[in-house]
Order: sequence, then structure tokens, then C-alpha cells
Amino acid sequence: MTGRSQSGGPDASSARAAAVSVAVRPRHRRWFEGQTSRRLAFGYLLLAPAALYVALLVGIPFLFSLYLAVSDANVGDPVARFVGLGNFRAAWEMDTFWDALRNSIVFLVVAAIFKSLLGTSLAFLLLQSFKGKKLVRALVVIPFTLPISVSVLSWKWMYDSQFSVINWGLNKAGLIGAYGSESWPVWLGQPHLALIACIGVNVWRSFPFSAIVLLAGFTSVPTEVLDAARVDGCSFFQRFRHVVTPMIFPILIIGFLFDTVFTLSDLSVVYLLTQGGPGSATQILPVLAYQIGIQAGSLGRGAAIALMLVPLLFPALFLMLRNLKRRDW
Amino acid sequence: MSDGQPTLTAPGSIGRRRFLKVSGAAVAGSSLLTMLDARQAPAQLKGTTLRILTWSHFIPAYDVWFDKFSAEWGEKNGVKVRVDHIPHLEIPARMAAEFAAGAGHDIILNNSTILARLYYKSLLDMTDIYDQLGKKYGGWIPAAKSPIEVEGRIYGIPMYYILLPMLWRKDLFEANGLKPPDTWELARVAARTLKPKGNPSGIAFSHCNDANLNWRSLMFSFGATETDASGDNPTIDTKEMRETLRFAKALFDEGMTPEVFSWDDASDNRFLASGIAGWIHDAISAYRTTESTNPPVFKNTFVAMEPAGPGGKRVSVSAPIVFLAWKFSKNPTGAKEYLTHLVDNDKEGMIQSTGYNMPFLNDNAKKPMPIIGADPKLQILQDFPKIVAFFGYPGPYTPQIQEVANLFVLPDIFTRVARGQSIDDSVKWGVGEYRRIFAKHKRA
Repeated sequence: MTGRSQSGGPDASSARAAAVSVAVRPRHRRWFEGQTSRRLAFGYLLLAPAALYVALLVGIPFLFSLYLAVSDANVGDPVARFVGLGNFRAAWEMDTFWDALRNSIVFLVVAAIFKSLLGTSLAFLLLQSFKGKKLVRALVVIPFTLPISVSVLSWKWMYDSQFSVINWGLNKAGLIGAYGSESWPVWLGQPHLALIACIGVNVWRSFPFSAIVLLAGFTSVPTEVLDAARVDGCSFFQRFRHVVTPMIFPILIIGFLFDTVFTLSDLSVVYLLTQGGPGSATQILPVLAYQIGIQAGSLGRGAAIALMLVPLLFPALFLMLRNLKRRDW
Repeated sequence: MSDGQPTLTAPGSIGRRRFLKVSGAAVAGSSLLTMLDARQAPAQLKGTTLRILTWSHFIPAYDVWFDKFSAEWGEKNGVKVRVDHIPHLEIPARMAAEFAAGAGHDIILNNSTILARLYYKSLLDMTDIYDQLGKKYGGWIPAAKSPIEVEGRIYGIPMYYILLPMLWRKDLFEANGLKPPDTWELARVAARTLKPKGNPSGIAFSHCNDANLNWRSLMFSFGATETDASGDNPTIDTKEMRETLRFAKALFDEGMTPEVFSWDDASDNRFLASGIAGWIHDAISAYRTTESTNPPVFKNTFVAMEPAGPGGKRVSVSAPIVFLAWKFSKNPTGAKEYLTHLVDNDKEGMIQSTGYNMPFLNDNAKKPMPIIGADPKLQILQDFPKIVAFFGYPGPYTPQIQEVANLFVLPDIFTRVARGQSIDDSVKWGVGEYRRIFAKHKRA
């Protein structure tokens, strides 16, 4: 440094001016410095754990099952070859696959109808005031909270071909004959009865869930609105159809979504009761996928069969979610 | 380093190095022999861990003995042994998970669903102890190799198999002038006679292991086969198979009720114990259940030889139980030592299982066998080892046959016929299923 500059001569003043001009030059703000951007970034940051969770626990397994479905992977061989759509083709060639697909759809639709009816009725009952209401509310969720293996095995006993308590009751009521007679139902042995029996257990297990979802919805409807509708002369069903249902529609849709997914992917009830039998009368896609993929070791074909649930589920989910969004709730 | 000069050694003389080699080998050899003789495990086992995955045996007392036996072996050899029991139907899923993780139990039991051929690349080669045990105990019964042999190597140790003989009610037979069910035709006559009197007979048609086993016994005794000797080609589309199906349809129509379509593996036990059944074709667990729950019926329940088919042939399809060990096991030596010790105590296992476990080794199958040799009603079981077969007969127990069994294709063919579908259509459907499964495995 020179002596002049140290003493603050003309060079020093020009340098100061330059420094000042630099200081006042408008600074370009980077993208993340704007308030909106910062809020966006903060929002994404808050979303990140959920996104990561979905990617890790849903995305990766889904992609892995896609990979398995187009490979000849089996449980004993870590090296798999690409087989294109071979596994899907092999599944379509199986009569059992079509039986399983048909049964899965029947299972889903029939179970959904009964769960809606029973769930709604139970929710209305639980809305009423009566003594011991809290206890009853706690008791109704028992089927849903019991370990599935325990509850299904209990049902297996109740459906037993020889010692069925259901048949015993029907016999005592004079509705069926004695054991060994033509009218004695073999719940898990006659094709239609077996499917009904499996659906019955699924409904028994899940309708308390539907009831609780609906109950949450019903209690969120302001009583003033219902009173106003009553004053206007609406009957019970009119109030339900035109007031309650539109108001709780989002809850209904979410409950229905959950129930659809749970029912279609439910392996335990059928596996523990009938293993898909007799014949293929109760065979459903998750059980078939398990038997082929895990028990027989053909992971590729098992994954392909399991993925057949996606075309069933996806349009239903898409329509329901789109409907929900259109309503702009 | 050699100086290039040849070393002159007088013939017969022993050099210092040779002496050391020979004496060292002699000491090591004698120690090993002593150790084997005393059944003492190598010292390197001390401080190791051995994890065993097994099923929940149908005879609970056997599990109590098994756990104690394993713990005692562990204490004796300084090995920490842990035994886990799970239902046998869950074992395939557990094996798949352990294989994927490359970790888990050292030894895994397979019951009926034998996965040795599926996982053999990841299983411990047991040929050495299989041969050694065979030599020691007079060889293995002919069917023993079928589930565990791949390309000439052995990937598991057969422990025991479960027989499914004919269990019949002597009092009912005698009261109706019926002959013991020594042939399938006599069994059919008995079923036809007893059903109208309130005592139907039963074989499960449903999706359960008993159905897989029992209908195969019938078809093989009728001269039908499941695969050729190589195991590569299904052979169910035959005259004998059609004859079997015709017979099964008549047997169902005349002597059974529709409840056989709903049975699980324990339903026929209850059916016999209730006093209703004229006869069932099942493991002796049914006999034992009846012993404890209905003594009067038990007194009249007898065990028959596998009924003969029309040509006099008898084949008893049984459920094999084998132990496999992972190649990634951290204690392969311990696994082999333990299994050797277990087979050495096979007779004790037979006693503890009250005669339920049938031996794979010829010496252990010699008469009188423990428990069953002393029970006049069960003595007939000692004649079964000659006629035992497994899935796939006369071919080996391959992964494709395993898949056929897991999907219950064979019981479904019988179910279709029993429910009224034509034999030709049912066979056609079954052949299609078999071919599709076999073709897939051939491609793989």
C-alpha cells in the first residue's frame, strides 16, 4: 500500500465512491430469498418426511413388485431374467385366475353393500342416547381389534361341518334338519355357502370400522342444520339423503377407499377358512398370489397375479378421488 | 532348499518328516474317531449359537421332548441352542424371508412342502452325513432321497414321515358283516353299507394336505402315476386315472357326505372321535385324539394296511419331514453335528411321538418298532415302509409337483368329478394345469 492512499488523497476518495456505488447497486435476490419461495420451500420441507415415507414404504415395494412381475424370479434363486409379460400371460391362461378374479369382485361388491348397510345402521344406533352407550361403543370395535387369526379360527369352529353352533341354533329353531340330513348346511363345503361364509366373516370384522367412520361424520353435522330440515318437513330419509350425506361425503369417500383396499387385499379370511376351496369356489387374487408366489416359490408369477389388483383398484380410486376434488371440499 | 543330491532312503525306513506326518495323522484320526464314538462335537462349536426353526408337532409331548433334547445337546457342547416352533403352513413364507435377508435360522424343518429343490443352491450340502448315517443304520428307505436329492447331491436330512393308514370301526364292520378294509373295494362296500345307518366314511376333498395325500394313495394304488420316472412330465391322463376317478365318485356318492368338501387336516380326527365315522384314511393323530376324547370308540378303532387297488397294488403316500440348513448359516458344523445327533436318537423321537414319527432309516424300521411294535392295533404300521411314496410318484418330489400340491390341483380334479363334472372334462382341466406348471418350471 502507498503512503498516499494511507493519508486519504484523491485515490482514496474515488475508491470510497466506488465502494459506495457497489453498496447501493440493486442486488439480484436469489429464488429462495423471496417470501413466497421461502414459504414454498418451508412447505416442501414439511412435506418431505411424508413424501419420503411414501417413497420408501409404498413406492419402492411397488416398483420392486413390478420388477418381479416381469422376471422369472423365484424364492430360491437371486438371479432373475426378464420375461416381459410372460407371467401375466401365464396367469390369464389359468382357469383358477379367472375364478379368483370373479370371486374377488363379488367379494368386494357384496361385502361393501353389507358393510354400508350394517355400518350405517350401527352408526345411527350409536348416535342415540341410551344407558351404557360408551360401553357399547367400546364393544362394537372388538371384531376389528381382535387378532385376525384368532377371530377367523373361531369362525372356522362356528362353520364346522359337524359341530357348527350356527347349525345347532338353526336346528333348535326348527329351520334345518339334524346333522346328516339334506338340509344341514356345510358352510365351508358347498361352493356358494363357502363364499358367503368368507364374505360374512369379512363383513363382521370390518363393519364396525365403517360404523365408526360414519359416526364421526354424523357427529360433525351441526344439529341446527338438521333441525332446520326437520322444521321444513324433511323426513328421516330425506334428511339423510339431502342433508347428511352431502355434508359427510368426503368422510364417506375416504372410508370407502380404505374399505375397498382392505377388502381386496384381505388374504387372511379366505386363507384360514378355506384356502380357496372347495375347488376354486372361494379363491381370490391375494390367496392365489400367496400360494403361487410364496408357497410354490414363483415370485414372478405371484407378483403378476397380485398386481392384477391394481387395474381393479386404480379406476375406482381415481373416480372417487376425482369426485371428491370436484366437490371442492 | 534341496542341494540337488538325491536323498537316499532305505526301503522300509522312516524319515523324520514322514514319521511326524504319520504320527500326526494317527493322533488326529484316533482323536476324531474317539470323538465320533463318544458323539462329542468338535471343540470349535463351543460358544457358538444354533437356531432351529421347526413346526408345532401334532403330538405336543414330542415338542416338549424336542426342546429339552436340543437344549441338552447345546449344554453338552457349549452351544447356545434356540428352538422356534411355528405352524408348518407358515414355514415356506419364513424360508422365503430368511433367504431374501440372507440371515435367520441355521436349521429349518420342512413338512410336506419340501423346498430343498427350490433352494438347493443356498442350502448346505449334507451328502456326507446322509451317507454316513445311512451306513451306520443299514441304509435309508427307498423313498427317502426323493424330496432332498438334486443332481446327485443331498441337501437335507430326512427325519421322519407321517403315515395315513385306514382307521376303521371294527364294531360297526362286524355288526354289518363287513370284511376289514384290506382293499379299496372292501372300503367302498363298507362305506356304502354304513352310510345309510348313520356312519358315513370320509376322505377330505378340500384344500388341505390330507386331501393331497389321500387321493394320491388311492390313485397310485390303482396303478395311476403322477409323473414319469424323471419327474419332468406329468402322466395323469391315463386309463388308470380315469378308473380311479370313477371309483372316487362312487365312493363319495355312496359312502360320504358333502362335509368332506369343507374339512381341514383335523376335521377327520373329530369325525372319528365323534363316533360317527365308519372309516377314515388319516394319520394316527386321529387315533390318538380318539384315545383321549372317546375311549369307547377308541376301543373299537383299528388300523388297517393301506388298502390294495384292483391289481393288488398298495402305495401309501406319506408326508415327509426333513431338516434343511442354510449355506449362509454361521454354524454349519454345529448344524451337521446337531442333525447327526438327532438322527442318532431317532428311536427316542419315535417313542416321544407315540409312534407318529415313522423312521427313514432301515435299522430303525426293523420290527419291533418302538411303541407301534408293542401295540397290537398299530403293529401293522411296521409294514408300511415298503410301500411309502411321496408326491410325484414314481418320479421325484420336484418343485413343479410342489406347486401342483400347493395349488391343490389333484384334489380339485377329484372334487370336480365328485360334484358331477365329467371325468374327461376334469382330467382335461387337470392336465392343462399340470402342463402349464411343468412348462413354466422347464423354462426356468
